Amino acid sequence: MPFLHERLANGLDVVAETSDAAVSTSIGFFVATGSRDENDDVSGVSHFLEHMVFKGTPGISGDEINHRFDAMGASANAFTSEEDTVYYASVLPEQQHEAVELLAAMMRPALRDADFDTEKLVILEEIRMYDDQPPFGADDRCRASYFGRHPLARSVLGTVESITRLPVEAMRDYHRRCYAPGNTVLAASGAIDFPALVESAQRLCGDWEPAAPLERRLPHPPRQAAHPGVERIVKASAALDYAVWMVAGPDEFHADRHAARLLAMLLGDASGSRLYWGLIDTGEAEQAACLHQDYLDAGLFVTQLSCDAADVETLRERIAAIYATAATEGLERAEFERARNKLASRVVLGGEKPRRRLFEVGLDWSHARTYRSVSDQLRLVEAVTLDDAHRVLNAWPLDAPAAVVIAGPDEVG
Amino acid sequence: MKQSLHSATLGNGITIVGERLPELESVAVAFHAPAGAIHDPEGKCGLATVTGEMCLRGAGLRDSRRLVEDLESAGVQLAQGVSSTHISVSGAMVARQLPEVLPIYADILRRPLLPADELPAARQMVLQNLAGIEDEPAHRTLAALRRLQSPAPWGMPTEGISHEVESIEIDDVRGFVGRHLQPSGMIVSVAGRIEWDDFVSRIEALLGDWQATAPQAVATGPRGPVALHVPHDAQQTHIAVGWPQPPYRDDASHEATAALAVLGGGPSSRFFTEIRERRALCYTVSAGYQTSREFAHAVCYSGTSADRAQETLDVMLAEIARLPGTITRDEVDRVKARAKSGLIMQQESSAARAGAIARQWYHLKALRTLAEELERYDRLDVAGIEAWLADHPPRDLTVVSLGREPLEVRHALPA
Repeated sequence: MPFLHERLANGLDVVAETSDAAVSTSIGFFVATGSRDENDDVSGVSHFLEHMVFKGTPGISGDEINHRFDAMGASANAFTSEEDTVYYASVLPEQQHEAVELLAAMMRPALRDADFDTEKLVILEEIRMYDDQPPFGADDRCRASYFGRHPLARSVLGTVESITRLPVEAMRDYHRRCYAPGNTVLAASGAIDFPALVESAQRLCGDWEPAAPLERRLPHPPRQAAHPGVERIVKASAALDYAVWMVAGPDEFHADRHAARLLAMLLGDASGSRLYWGLIDTGEAEQAACLHQDYLDAGLFVTQLSCDAADVETLRERIAAIYATAATEGLERAEFERARNKLASRVVLGGEKPRRRLFEVGLDWSHARTYRSVSDQLRLVEAVTLDDAHRVLNAWPLDAPAAVVIAGPDEVG
Repeated sequence: MKQSLHSATLGNGITIVGERLPELESVAVAFHAPAGAIHDPEGKCGLATVTGEMCLRGAGLRDSRRLVEDLESAGVQLAQGVSSTHISVSGAMVARQLPEVLPIYADILRRPLLPADELPAARQMVLQNLAGIEDEPAHRTLAALRRLQSPAPWGMPTEGISHEVESIEIDDVRGFVGRHLQPSGMIVSVAGRIEWDDFVSRIEALLGDWQATAPQAVATGPRGPVALHVPHDAQQTHIAVGWPQPPYRDDASHEATAALAVLGGGPSSRFFTEIRERRALCYTVSAGYQTSREFAHAVCYSGTSADRAQETLDVMLAEIARLPGTITRDEVDRVKARAKSGLIMQQESSAARAGAIARQWYHLKALRTLAEELERYDRLDVAGIEAWLADHPPRDLTVVSLGREPLEVRHALPA
């Protein structure tokens, strides 16, 4: 799968992983901005702006955007995270031109007052929807406790209050600063006509004004929870307790990133892991999972537990004991190799889907200006040793003082 | 596009369907046993689901743990699920692992150990899932709609009912396996980098001598009332609306599903345009189609703040009523474009194709080639959809709400 790259004069990078076997074409704009790039005055603006991008440009209405995507048979959408805002479309190869044309135009939205006021109501509904469903905001609250004053503490959705008071001018200003060509990558995967892609980018994005680059990675990211301890969110109608806790892990650029992912899989994957056999297989917990999340300058091991409210403290102790045993007694070679096979298989199977590859190629380039093929990824996974996993266990103790949030029906555990 | 689709039926009634996708490294395989939740006996709702879970708790010479570990060592992404009609076990893997893992799947189907000492944990696992569902308002709303508009036992929750699950004993599970987990009517589907003849001979060797017993007929009972409000203390109210549709095997389902796609199938659909884009009443709104072999329904859903729920329902009902006689050529063209590109892109996923051909065989007793599927969409037009809608306008609506206050069904629709 050849990788191709071209940089426009204004700094916009165009990258593609092309495949002769693919029957589809996936195209995305990866804007390196998210909730971590916000401040209190504009909390939630990245995600709100993502919605507004679908409301049209000076020459294209929101309805027309929806009609055109559907008319080209596109599977088109967008997402916003702490660090990225991504717009993408998967289409048949003959629609490449039309899809790039529309996505590129959308990156310069009209941000009309009336649309802003209308869409604000949709955002508020989205906030209420998440607030009404598990884990009832425990994940956001836990992130805030862990990160404290670090910008990764910020919620992607914002709050009802921050969205309600957000003025449209603040969004326009944010768009000008963050959607600059040097801060954006146009990525593609699948059956791609790369010369045509670069030509489209040149014509449609060549006149985007460069802006000062954003400083994103902080020199002293947290290596421990800013506010360790247990907080509770009371949801009187909840049937179960939902606990989330976070301790430090390797960041995206750390050499032990893959070992950390493998370790989390061994300990807390949805099946066949130590947490699975210890809590799920026995029917004691609805969910018990450990995952590794990495960011530009910080990483986390996140543990998620849902169970009967009466059992939450017992099961938290059980999980702590599982982590402690792993740290003191080490991991078995056989289980380590199983986890590595599992991860390798996920890399290969995931690599078959151009849509999934789009996100990997786009985010790798956006964050690190680097390209990793499926084979590169496989090599990285296969290179992880049992010693690496043990080193991660020692360097990033899972039983460190954690930020813990429990949402459930009771005020106290 | 050259396509290689295959089917074969063994003497004991197992049908094998397959598609070779030589561009892929992976293969996906699925075994669908006709042992779904419609066979749950009275008072034991959830037995099929508990049985599906028990089948993974040891089979052949492997205990529960060894079974999962051996599959995972081979890099198999294992899945097990229960629908109203089937218990399914499936897996996706790198193609070279397939010969090694097929005997494990055969053990799960033919030689589950069903150990009595594992039952409490399996039952408890199903109960945990049910407790989790209590906290999923959208899931509960759609499950309530399904239960109302389908005749018993088709609408019963496949996940089970807590107090009935608690009463399930090991003899119930063993009896269920004896009666329903059997070859007659089973579908084995495979897609990806396969050699068809080799696959068939492996399945023949593993499952060919399995003796079939007569499949059990299911008596169909009455359906539920046409309206229901479920009290739920939360900020949002959830709404589900449904009405009868032709099942997938009926040719008219093509026109019927196209009409539903116009109504709520994508960002340019009427629901999305009118309810979300124009009025900003909600974040989620959709219209879709659910089918069994015998009958099918339209399923519309939205969730919104309690004080805006009545308006949301009013607009949903108005859009449903407005559908006949108003469908435009542009709308149909968009539905066709979306469906056709979805069908073509499916070729990139072995798991999606294995699922699609199994469904086709179950509903049609035949496989349609991609060319045939695309050609059916080429023939779809406004006149055909309108002719169908004129004879079958949305009627006999069922409405479910879940939230703080009940809603009123104000918009007049033909009963």
